[in-house]
Amino acid sequence: MAGGGTDDRLARVRAPILLGAALACWAGAVSLGAFRDARHALPPVADDVLYLAGGAAAPRLALGFDAILADVYWIRSIQHFGSTRRAKAGADKSYGLLYPLLDLTTTLDPHFSIAYRFGSIFLSEPYPNGPGRTDQAIALLERGLAADPKKWQYAHDAGFVHYWWRGDYRAAAEWFERASRIDGAPWWLTSMAATTLAQGGDRRSSRHLWQQLYESADNDWVKSNARLRLAQLDALDQMDALAALVRRHTEARGRPPYSWRELAPFGLRGVPLDSSGTPFELDATAPGGVRLSPGSSLSPLPPALAGQQGRAGQAP
Amino acid sequence: MARVVGLVAYHVFKESVRDKVLYNLVLFAVLLIGGSYLVGQLTAGQDIKIIKDLGLAASSLFGLFIAVFIGVGLVWKEVDRRSVYNLLVKPVRRHEFILGKFLGLALTLLVNIAVMAAALYAVLALMSWLRPEIGRAGGVEAPVLDPRLLKAFGLLYAQLLVVTSVALFFSTFAGPLMSAAFTFGLYVVGHFNEDLAHFEDVVQSPAAGWLGKALYYLLPNLAPFDVKLAAVHGREVPNLYCALTAGYGLLYIAAMLALAVVIFQRRDFK
Amino acid sequence: MLALETDRLTKDYAVGFWRRRPYRALDGLSLQVEAGEVFGLLGPNGAGKTTTLKLLMELIYPTSGRIAILGHPPGHPEVRRRAGFLPEAPYFYDYLTAEELLSYFAGLFGLRDGARRARVAALLDLVGIGGERRLALRKCSKGMLQRVGLAQALLNEPDLVFLDEPMSGLDPLGRRDVRAIVLGLRDRGCTVVFSSHILSDAEALCSRVGILVGGRLVAAGRLSDMLAFEVEGWELVMAGLDEAALGALGSRVRRATPLGGGRYAIELPPVDDPDCAVAGLRARGGRLVSLNPMRATLEDYFVRQVEARAGGPAAGRTVPER
Repeated sequence: MAGGGTDDRLARVRAPILLGAALACWAGAVSLGAFRDARHALPPVADDVLYLAGGAAAPRLALGFDAILADVYWIRSIQHFGSTRRAKAGADKSYGLLYPLLDLTTTLDPHFSIAYRFGSIFLSEPYPNGPGRTDQAIALLERGLAADPKKWQYAHDAGFVHYWWRGDYRAAAEWFERASRIDGAPWWLTSMAATTLAQGGDRRSSRHLWQQLYESADNDWVKSNARLRLAQLDALDQMDALAALVRRHTEARGRPPYSWRELAPFGLRGVPLDSSGTPFELDATAPGGVRLSPGSSLSPLPPALAGQQGRAGQAP
Repeated sequence: MARVVGLVAYHVFKESVRDKVLYNLVLFAVLLIGGSYLVGQLTAGQDIKIIKDLGLAASSLFGLFIAVFIGVGLVWKEVDRRSVYNLLVKPVRRHEFILGKFLGLALTLLVNIAVMAAALYAVLALMSWLRPEIGRAGGVEAPVLDPRLLKAFGLLYAQLLVVTSVALFFSTFAGPLMSAAFTFGLYVVGHFNEDLAHFEDVVQSPAAGWLGKALYYLLPNLAPFDVKLAAVHGREVPNLYCALTAGYGLLYIAAMLALAVVIFQRRDFK
Repeated sequence: MLALETDRLTKDYAVGFWRRRPYRALDGLSLQVEAGEVFGLLGPNGAGKTTTLKLLMELIYPTSGRIAILGHPPGHPEVRRRAGFLPEAPYFYDYLTAEELLSYFAGLFGLRDGARRARVAALLDLVGIGGERRLALRKCSKGMLQRVGLAQALLNEPDLVFLDEPMSGLDPLGRRDVRAIVLGLRDRGCTVVFSSHILSDAEALCSRVGILVGGRLVAAGRLSDMLAFEVEGWELVMAGLDEAALGALGSRVRRATPLGGGRYAIELPPVDDPDCAVAGLRARGGRLVSLNPMRATLEDYFVRQVEARAGGPAAGRTVPER
């Protein structure tokens, strides 16, 4: 090393020079860091990223491996949901871990979009196929929006939960409207907000909604879910038609039919099947006297749809 | 000076190349990155995200192992086995020895990180070749073969160099076990560093708050080097941010090396 | 011209874990070695030989005192360029071969390519390492490592070499080789300073020696000039003698031990001229088998020195606390 730093006689760099250099470098490092944090900080990847248990005072354990942990918790969420769903009737079907797991996943990685979107679907599914916790689904999506305010998909999904699972069309319309105001939202969100408000709960707008989702789905699971909903809507159409026959039978014979054969004179041929190939059932207690077989893969109908039974005629 | 430092550095690299343990580490990391393909299959959607997460995390973890375990032995082993006696009586001054050792491990780390990055890109390329539709899926926010991942690798490398300089510093006066414990400790604390800065908000005693502040400035702040999340989600990490963070690292390394030289120059090799 | 000079060189180590107290490993060593000399630093284990050599190579720093090597302080670039050092029981990198190690070190001296290869090959030949030069050093025997160590100390064709126990770990053949190398260096005009605890090494090689005991220089000079190593008598072995013939020598015989078959071992005092005794006995039919001077061994000398130093332990002393 040439220059002032080296004592040539001893071939040692003088300690005060080195200590001074260390001090200067350290001060430089600290000020560079401070300058970066003040002026050029990365947009926060959420404040409580690293806290376990939903930002509670748990210790930070992730040490930069938060993304990996998030993946692990996401896989566990899916496994928990899937295995509870497949568990035999009578087993514990409370899905008690689902929300905590999703919470952890999205806390560790606040931009884990699929965890919000699928998570809300999982949480909304009614018992026994899911916990039926629409409140938690909405809460999860709201956290997603807080982390990523530009994700119109979260607002859209929240609207969906209100529309589909809670039958709260006003709230649904508000969410759709909110989604449509986010940059990059597709054009059809605006009209969806309007029709939801005007014709809340009508089957045509439902069909429109699911059709939209079916076509835009980027994922097999979402696609097959949408296909199921469309099949359920078809089943509702069929049930309306059957209910009309039942009504005519009741008017003509003074009592509801006991079997499908009794409806043959009114134009029914054979046993009516839903799209899964399961026969519909006659049930005098059900609205319209017809119901979906509990054994059908289309069962259960979501409450929002079930309530629409018999209202097909009202659609313009 | 450059020739001597280069020779010392080259031989650190050569030793690591001939060390089977290192091969096993790298091989394991590459396998893990390759295995992320399988993990990706287990999850609904987001395969690409998970592969990137796993690849970056594996690189980070194994890079850390290499930096710490080789770093703490760099100087200590030579002194303990007395091979340093042969070297330091040659035209190798003690600061040149320290600098050479650091640069040698830096070169080793560079090659290892490059191998792991290449492995990750290879898995991603394979994925997009096997399932071309995956890149078009809306759930994936970043392109499959995202060049921005390189920024994450670059800052990871800078972070590992800071860790190396810390390990080397401890290695000049402490045994490997103690050095490794200290270095890992600093690595852990380095990630909470932001908390220390705001320690006074949490604790009652002003002295403790003041101490927290002092530690915040004294200890390496490693969290800003970690942009894995941003990279995986396809967020832009501005070049200026990278440059400032790398500059911070470089200066911190210089300070650590200067202190290491101060201590090493005073040492008696009994 | 002096190749090496030390002036009241002192080194204290701190010992003890809780109450650190200084331990004086070297106490006021003043030495002068002329250029071209082969100087032996002798002493029992722990006498301060290695400490001295490490101080000279600036592997440790003196507590007090002054050192000049080739007219420079230790650690000076000129010293590093012109001096060589073989540490005691040298250890090298496991992962390299002897050839690679020497090539590495030769590079440190600025040798390049062809010159580097030639120098390395020549030195390996000199120290007698053949095909093993391509063997990883971790597989090498202690003797091999000692030879490699010697080779690396000579890479820069030094004007001054320090060898710490160069003979240790070597078989008789190896010792002979090392002696030949040291003598070769001397003939080239290179100053050699080596440490040893074996007198015969020093006798065979050294022009002068310094004797260290307990960190102090107790004697320095030519071995033959040292009072302690003067001839203390002669041991004469002759055959074909009888009691009568012995009697003729009379009081000149200090002790006579019959060895059987007419052979006797006879001790004569140093003042006596052994030639007369031999001639006298020959005249009575005796045959000379051997004649040897009797000297104190280095070991005897050390023991005496240690005994003379009343109170203190054999090696080193604790400096009284101030």
